[in-house]
Amino acid sequence: MNMMLFGPELYYLGMALVFFFLTLKRQVQGKMDYQIALALSAMGVVVTVLCLFQQGDLFFKAYRVDLFSQIFKFALALGLFLVLTISHRLPHIEARYQAEFYFFLTTTTIGMMMLVSSVELLTIYVALELSSYSLYILVPLRRGDGIDVEAGIKYLFIGAVSSGFMLFGLSYIFGATGSTYLADILPKMTQLVNSPIGIMGLLLAMAGFFFKLSVFPFHFWAPDVYQGGANQVVTFIATASKAAAVALLLRLAGLGQAFGYNFTIALVALSIISMTLGNLVAIIQKDFKRMLAYSSIAHAGVFLMGVLTITESGFIGAIYYALAYLVMNFTVFMVLSEVASDGRDLKIAELAGLYRRSPLLSMSLILGIFALAGVPPSIGFTGKLLIFTSAMNAGYFWLVLIGAVNGTICLYYYLKVIYAAYFIEDPGLPAIELSMPIRLLNYALAAIIIGFGFFPDRVVELAKAAAKAVL
Amino acid sequence: MLVAPPLGLLILLCLKNEQKFLIRAVSLVSAGISLSLAIYTFVAYDKALGGLQFVEKYEWVKTFGITFFVGVEGMNAPLLLLTGIVIFTGVLTMWELEDRTKEYFIWMLALVTGVFGVFMSYDMFFFFLFYEIAVVPMYILILVWGSTRKEYAAMKLTLYLMAGSGLIIPGILLLYASSGLNTFNMVILHGARFSPWIQKVAFVLLLFGFGVLAAVWPFHTWSPVGHVAAPTAVSMLHAGVLMKLGSFAILRVAMYLCPAGFQYWANLMMVLATTGIVYGVFVGLAQTDLKYVIGYSSVSHMGIVCLGLSTGTMDGLNGSVFQMFAHGIMTALFFSSVGYIYDRTHVRDIHKLGGFSKIMPVASAFFITAALCGAGVPGMASFWAELLVFVATVKVYPVAGLLAIAALVVGALFALRVVQNSFYNEPNPKFVGYEDVSPFLGLPRMILIGALILFGFFPQLMVSMIKSSVVPFLQGM
Repeated sequence: MNMMLFGPELYYLGMALVFFFLTLKRQVQGKMDYQIALALSAMGVVVTVLCLFQQGDLFFKAYRVDLFSQIFKFALALGLFLVLTISHRLPHIEARYQAEFYFFLTTTTIGMMMLVSSVELLTIYVALELSSYSLYILVPLRRGDGIDVEAGIKYLFIGAVSSGFMLFGLSYIFGATGSTYLADILPKMTQLVNSPIGIMGLLLAMAGFFFKLSVFPFHFWAPDVYQGGANQVVTFIATASKAAAVALLLRLAGLGQAFGYNFTIALVALSIISMTLGNLVAIIQKDFKRMLAYSSIAHAGVFLMGVLTITESGFIGAIYYALAYLVMNFTVFMVLSEVASDGRDLKIAELAGLYRRSPLLSMSLILGIFALAGVPPSIGFTGKLLIFTSAMNAGYFWLVLIGAVNGTICLYYYLKVIYAAYFIEDPGLPAIELSMPIRLLNYALAAIIIGFGFFPDRVVELAKAAAKAVL
Repeated sequence: MLVAPPLGLLILLCLKNEQKFLIRAVSLVSAGISLSLAIYTFVAYDKALGGLQFVEKYEWVKTFGITFFVGVEGMNAPLLLLTGIVIFTGVLTMWELEDRTKEYFIWMLALVTGVFGVFMSYDMFFFFLFYEIAVVPMYILILVWGSTRKEYAAMKLTLYLMAGSGLIIPGILLLYASSGLNTFNMVILHGARFSPWIQKVAFVLLLFGFGVLAAVWPFHTWSPVGHVAAPTAVSMLHAGVLMKLGSFAILRVAMYLCPAGFQYWANLMMVLATTGIVYGVFVGLAQTDLKYVIGYSSVSHMGIVCLGLSTGTMDGLNGSVFQMFAHGIMTALFFSSVGYIYDRTHVRDIHKLGGFSKIMPVASAFFITAALCGAGVPGMASFWAELLVFVATVKVYPVAGLLAIAALVVGALFALRVVQNSFYNEPNPKFVGYEDVSPFLGLPRMILIGALILFGFFPQLMVSMIKSSVVPFLQGM
C-alpha cells in the first residue's frame, strides 16, 4: 500500500493524537496549544497539496483516491487551517476544553476527508458519522446560557433523524442491487428505472448530506446551531462541512442518472424551495449568524442546482462554487468573529461604525458579502454563473429564472449588512486592533475573491479534471 | 481605455485619505487618459473599412467558451467618447468634494471601468460582468454622498436594477444554451440560427431586463428618485452614461442576437417608448424640484432612444445612437449646472430660485443651454438625433411618431417655463452676492457645451460613424 495515497488522512490522524495527548495535560497552556494547532494545520494544507495528484484504490476498492477527492481534501484542510487562524481567542470555550476543541475539529476533518474518498455505502456511512459526532460535541462546547445546549440537541436530533433516513435509503439500495459498492450499483440502477425502490433509496440516502448542506426539509437546525454554537465552530460548519456535503452529493447524484426526469424533478423542487425559503426568511433576521444560516439554506439550493444537472459542466460549477463558497463564507465569518472578539452573537446593527473601527475588516466584509450575493467580479458571481449556465444547458429554464430572481431578493439583506457597516450612526466604539497575520489573511482573501473571480480558468480546468473522476 | 480607470483605482487604494490633491490628480489623469484614448479611437476609426476595429481577444475559460473580446465599431465609438467626456468632466465637477474623497473616486472609477467594459465587450459573459460592475457602485455612491431620501433611493435603484439582472441572466443563458455552440462570443452566436420561439422568449427577457436600466416605462420609477438623491457627478454619470448601457444593451445583445424576437415585440417596445415619452413630459410639467424635472425629462428622452430602436430602420437606429450620445452630454450638463447651484444655495426649487441668472449668470447660462438642447433647438446635437428618430418613426408608426412629436412640443414649452421661472423672474434676495462659477469649475461645463455644439453643427461626423456599423447591423438582421 502506497502511504502517500492515504497521506492526508494519516497526517490528520497523527495530528488528532497530538491533541489527544494535549487534552490529558493538567496545566492549561492555551497559547502554546494554539500555536501547535496552527502550525500543524498549516502543515496539513501542505500535505494535501503534495498529495493532490495521487490516484489509486485502497481497502478492497472501498476507498478511492482521485483528483476529485484530493481537491476536496485540500479544501477541508484549508478550511480547518482558516478556522484555526481565527481561533486565537476562544472566549466562549473554557480554557481547559480548548485542547478538546482542536481535537474534535481534527477528528471531524478526518471524517470528512474519508467521506470524500469513500465509494462504498458502509464506508460512507461510517465516515459521515465520524465527522458528525465530532460536530455534535463541538456545538454545545460553548459556554452559554442554555442556548448552546438547545443548539446541540437540535443538531444531534435532526442529524440522527437524517442519519436514520440515510440508513434506510442505503438498505433499499443494497437490497435492490445486492452490492454496497457504488461502482457495482451504478450499472444495476438502470434495471430499477421502473420501480420506485431505486429512486426512493437514492433520495433517502442523500438525506444525510441534505442535512449537512441544510437543504429543505433538513434545514431546521441551521439557524439555531449557527446562533448557538461558538463562532469558530460555526465557521467550520458553514465552510468545510458544506464542501464535504457537496462532494458526496456529487458522487451519489451520478447514481441517479438512470432515473432521468423523475429523479431530477425531486431535486429541482428541493432546490427551489431551499433558495426561496432561505432568502425570504433571511430578510427579517436581526442576528448576523442567523441571517447567514438562512443564506446558507439559500446557497444549498444553488449547490443542488449544479448537482441535479448530472452533467460535467454542472459538476464543474458545483465544485468551483463549493471552493468559492468556502472562501467567501469564511471571509464573512472572519469579520464576524473579529468584531465579536468576546465571542458574543453579533446583531447586524452592531456592525455600526465598522467602517471607522477597522477599514480593512469592512473592506473584507464588503467583498465577502458581495461575493455571497453574486456580484461581479467575485468568485461568487463566477461560480453562480457557471452553475446557472450548466443548468440552462441541461434545459432547466424555469429553475434558472427562479434562481436569478432569488439573486435579487438576497441582495436586499446582504446590502443591509453593508448598510450597517458603513452608514448606521457610529456608536463610538474603539477601533479594532488586528494582528499582523490576520491583516495578511484579509489581503489574501480579498485577492482570492477578486483574482479567481476574474481569472477562473485555472480552477475551472482543475474542477473539470476532478468532475471527470466522478462522472 | 479600459485599463486606465482600474489602474487609477489601484493607485488610489494605496494613497492615504489625507492626500486629497493627489487623489484628485490621479483620478483626473486616469479619466483624462480614458478620454484621450476615446477621442483617439473615434478619430482613428476607419469608417470606410467598417466592422470591428481595435480588437483584443483572449481565451478566458475554455470549458465554458468564455473569451475576453473587446473591440470598437461605429455603434459604440460615440458611446465610448461620451463616457470619456462625462467621466472627465465628472471628476472636474467633483473637485471640491471633501467627504471621503478617496473612496468616492475609487467607486466612481470602478463604475466607469464597468461602463467602458460594457460598451466594448463582444462576449456575453464579460458584457454582463461589466454591466454589473457598473451598476453596483451606484448603491454606495448614492448612499454615502447623496442627498434627499438617499437610503430609499439607493435601495430602490439597486433592487430594480438587480431585478433587471435577474431577467438578463436567464435571457443570456437561454441563448447560450440553445445555440449549442458552447460560446459566449456574440459575433459567433449571431451566426447561430435560433428558433423563433427561443428568440421571442430571450428577447422579451432581455428587453425588460435591460429596459429597467434604460428607464423604459413602466420600469422607470427608480430613475428620477435616484437622480435626485445622487451626488452631482454620479447623476451626470448615471443619467448621462449608465442609462445608455440599458438601451445600448438592447441594441447590442437583444436585437443583434434575436432579430425575429425583435420583430415580434417591436410593437410593444414602440408602445412602451411612446408612453414613456408622453408620460415623462407631463409628469415633468408638474415638478418643482429642478432635479426631478431633469429626471423626468430623461425618462422621456430615453423613450425617444427606445422609439428609435423599435423602428428597426436605419434612420431610427442612427438617430437612436446619436440621441444616446447627445442626451448623455446634455443631461451631464444639466446635472452639473444644477449641482453647482445646489451646492451653493442648497435650493433646487424652481420658484425659490426665481431670477437666478441675475445672481449667477454663468451657471444659469449652462442650465439654459442644456434646456434649449433638451427642447431640440437646431444647432444642438440632440436636434439632429431627434429629427432622425422622428422621421423614421413617422414612416413606420405614424401615430406614435405624431404623439411623440406633440409631447416634445409640450416639453419644449415646459422647458422654457422652467427656465423663465427659475432664471428670469425677480431674483430671490436671499441669494444675492453668491459667487458665480469660477473659470476652473466652468471648464468641464464648457467642454460639454462644446461637444453639444460641435456635433450640432457637424452632425455628419457622428452620423457617418454610426452608419458605418448600422448598415451591416441591419443587413445581419
